[in-house]
Amino acid sequence: MLAAAVAYPFVFRKPFPQDLAIKIFLFGGLASAWNVLGGFTGQVSLGNAIFFGVGAYATAVVQTHWGWTPWVGMVLGMGVACGVAFVIGYPCFRLKGHYFAMATLAIGEVFSTLFMNWQWVGGAVGVYIPLRDDTWKYFQFGTTKLPYYYVTLAFLVLALLISEGILRSRMGYYFRAIREDQDAARSLGVSARGYKLSAIGISAMITSLGGGLYAQYVLFIDPPSVFPMMLSIQVVLLAVLGGVGTLWGPVLGTVILIPLSEFTRIYIGGTGSGLDLIAYGFLIVLVSVVQPRGILGFFRKGGNA
Amino acid sequence: MKKTWRMVYVTVGVFLWFSAFPAAGAWAADPVRIGAIYPLTGPAASTGAEMTDAITLAVDIINGKYDLDLPLARTEGLPNLKGATIKVIFADHQGKPDIGQAEAERMITTEKVAALMGCYYSSVTTTASIAAERHKIPFLNPESTDPKLTERGFRYFFRTTPFDDPFAENFFQFLDDMKKKKKVKIDSVAIVHENTSFGMGVLVSEKKYAEKYGYKVVAEIMYAEKATSLVSEVQKLRASGADVVMPASYTADAILYMKTFKDLRYMPQAILAMDAGYIAEDYRKTLGKDGEYVLSREVWALDLAKKKPMIATVNEIYKKRFGRDMNGNSARSFTGMMVLADAINRAGSTDSEKIREALEKYTLSGDNMIMPWEGVAFDAKTHQNTKGRGIIVQLIDGQFHTVWPFELASRDVIWPIPAWDKR
Amino acid sequence: MFLPELAQSLLSGVLMGLIFALVAVGLTLIWGIMDIVNFAHGDFLMTGMYLSFWMYSLWGIDPLLSLPVSGIFLFFLGVVVYQLIIRRILGAPMLIQIFATFGLMILMRYVAFYFFTPNYRTIQHTFLSGSIDLGGIYLPVPQLAAAAGAFLTTGAVYVLIHRTRIGGALQATAEDREAAALMGIDTDRMFTLAWGIGAATAGIAGSLLSIFFYIFPEVGGIFGLIAFVAVTLGGFGNVAGAFVAGILIGVIEALAGHFYDPALKTVFVYALFLGVLFFRPQGLLGVK
Repeated sequence: MLAAAVAYPFVFRKPFPQDLAIKIFLFGGLASAWNVLGGFTGQVSLGNAIFFGVGAYATAVVQTHWGWTPWVGMVLGMGVACGVAFVIGYPCFRLKGHYFAMATLAIGEVFSTLFMNWQWVGGAVGVYIPLRDDTWKYFQFGTTKLPYYYVTLAFLVLALLISEGILRSRMGYYFRAIREDQDAARSLGVSARGYKLSAIGISAMITSLGGGLYAQYVLFIDPPSVFPMMLSIQVVLLAVLGGVGTLWGPVLGTVILIPLSEFTRIYIGGTGSGLDLIAYGFLIVLVSVVQPRGILGFFRKGGNA
Repeated sequence: MKKTWRMVYVTVGVFLWFSAFPAAGAWAADPVRIGAIYPLTGPAASTGAEMTDAITLAVDIINGKYDLDLPLARTEGLPNLKGATIKVIFADHQGKPDIGQAEAERMITTEKVAALMGCYYSSVTTTASIAAERHKIPFLNPESTDPKLTERGFRYFFRTTPFDDPFAENFFQFLDDMKKKKKVKIDSVAIVHENTSFGMGVLVSEKKYAEKYGYKVVAEIMYAEKATSLVSEVQKLRASGADVVMPASYTADAILYMKTFKDLRYMPQAILAMDAGYIAEDYRKTLGKDGEYVLSREVWALDLAKKKPMIATVNEIYKKRFGRDMNGNSARSFTGMMVLADAINRAGSTDSEKIREALEKYTLSGDNMIMPWEGVAFDAKTHQNTKGRGIIVQLIDGQFHTVWPFELASRDVIWPIPAWDKR
Repeated sequence: MFLPELAQSLLSGVLMGLIFALVAVGLTLIWGIMDIVNFAHGDFLMTGMYLSFWMYSLWGIDPLLSLPVSGIFLFFLGVVVYQLIIRRILGAPMLIQIFATFGLMILMRYVAFYFFTPNYRTIQHTFLSGSIDLGGIYLPVPQLAAAAGAFLTTGAVYVLIHRTRIGGALQATAEDREAAALMGIDTDRMFTLAWGIGAATAGIAGSLLSIFFYIFPEVGGIFGLIAFVAVTLGGFGNVAGAFVAGILIGVIEALAGHFYDPALKTVFVYALFLGVLFFRPQGLLGVK
């Protein structure tokens, strides 16, 4: 399958299918990252856009303010995101279920508003990454999408490898224990707080890397494009539709929903993405009522993710 | 073994899934395709509609035969391209810069447009034109006024409208004139502006000229577009005691501001608006009498038809077709399409380099346009139209009246703006 | 700070807060009775707003008159939502419960987006206009009327819960579902009722809000989140608490805008929310 993915851009040479694939890889990675926290560990975060935005801004700001390369920005972003994750996680993990979800929602909005008013990073105007001719050092390509394609593919593969690694490891086992019954896990000596923090840290770092890649692809970011509640929600949706808590679930969800979203945007015309979100909403309700294990749930008989 | 087969199924399935979606878009054949990106939804949707209607009208005039002193009006289509017609493809950016950019990319790569125009919002024009510049497609900006747009050294970006910096200076020249001629006392101004590149740009320009002309800026209030309550902001304005309030707002906020002014019974000596929301049709429709007496810088007014009858003629056609008068926004979009089409005609080709060269050399006389400008000619370095001109209008009895420069004025200014209880 | 200005901010805050309170009351009912967080609550509000808007635009009916229609329509919508969706996830893991109402929120919001477009709408001319002058402090009549309506509706709900037999049954179900069932209370009916009333109050709030506020598809998001804050502050299931909390939030928001920066006033509200969540999860007025 990897071979097919690698060959893809040579079959579909037009920029549009490549752009679609890039989006799929990016969102697939984000959904998988969320899955580590929400699916494996059962902590439903509705604010993952926070980490995405942090990564995007870190990448952009190091270029505009200090002239560094975006790669440094991405690494920096991951560090900052991880830090933010801990700061958020430490108090929030005391909250159970619904309250944790709402807290993340509120914090997401706080970040969005703060960045809108923080003039050093451009406030509502946003950050324009200076245009350059094609370059790997500054990771910008105007004439071809291929580098973006392969880098985002690598990103997705990385996210999946990490997810798989966790699933098979003892940490993953503890994550699931916490998800199923936190108190029982605790009584067996599993530090709930510690593992939850690891989960959010990992989720944050992957998500922020995605944010950095996005910044370099679009070359312009502002709070509504990288911190919106809708992004946090979308990431959750993709994972849930495909199969929350599984390895391939998020990817499956992304592969189905993202093309749907792009095509409705184009064919239904200028009114934007209303239709695909209706589909999203409907699908989530359907999934929760009929088949909570997502689409993958149809293929797995019983057993655990 | 079984697992490998499953992989194969999945891979094939994915490929089939993808090929089920045909690559969207067609080829640029006979008609010359131009992409126009405007806010068709969101808080400035009504303004977006006014502008796209104007563009549609311009395309009709170009493609058809009209007896008007406008370029390409008396011929059908573009004569130098064997009568090829213009086909405009509209896209909605919803007021969001990232969507504007995505739509620009789509227009260029999938819809294969020869040129782009738009986007009204300075913030969206910025990103959409980045896409155009990267793909080396000409981009004509008829309405966005952020000064930074022409400071980027772009080769493919051209702007026909005069921009906020000289406009800001116009304001203070007007205030000086008022002080001299009408003997009113004006010392302080308050600048209230939205926080994207339009508003921020206005703030910078207005502050600069306030200082140069000796006025005190007693309040600088920045706010977020789409605010739900402006009570605090208006209270701050009132507390500042400013003689004149200078807002830079898009449509929805302009309406909310006036409503809040009325609710709190606040009115400074005058409101001197930087266009945008304050000249929008929706503003007049929603506020009616409550929105009156506002002064705005403008680039166009219906009463200029007294000096240039063609303005009235075109406005009549527009009004008959779309049910409302034109205004500075729609007039500029109209003119933008005219200029772009004319340039393409002069280039004699849809090749982007030729169009770009044609635009660089382009000139048009003020007699051949519905704008009160000296004409169109683009600065060699910045590609800014150097022959534009601003005026100041006042909304009285549902119409905009030119009140400055006094030589072009059709009537006297009403100053100060009548208080709420005296209407 | 000049006193009249402060008073102006405060009063504006209270007026808005009464609307917040009404929305919160509906949410707390549902939450208290069945421990389900209705993420779509704000969108019930939005539905009420659009109902009033269309009845006004198409038939010229003033929002005050269309108010009962909103209430009834939303009541049935709430019942339908309960029967079709909520009932089936009563026993499901919490993750699923979150997704269900969340998905509903998105569905409702974007159906509105698609059919009504994202354009901001307003109701221009209602019965009520102008403002009352209290010695330099101006209270716009539309807001005043909406606030009064919110106050009355909340009062009605309070009376229903605390002084009627049905209300008693609702409270019993909230307190101990099994015991209530043993006592012969039809819990399913109680849940249905809770959803109906909860949705109806949101719809009424929407109609009231439409008198002076923008109407657009995402309006539910803002008010929904504030309702969560109010319910958390006031204690889950506590109608009086939600009421007080709603007003409090309106005041805090107004004061934050007054003393500090209007652009950041929602941050204060969220900060308060987070503070309560961390330090006093039973709410300012609730009992653990």
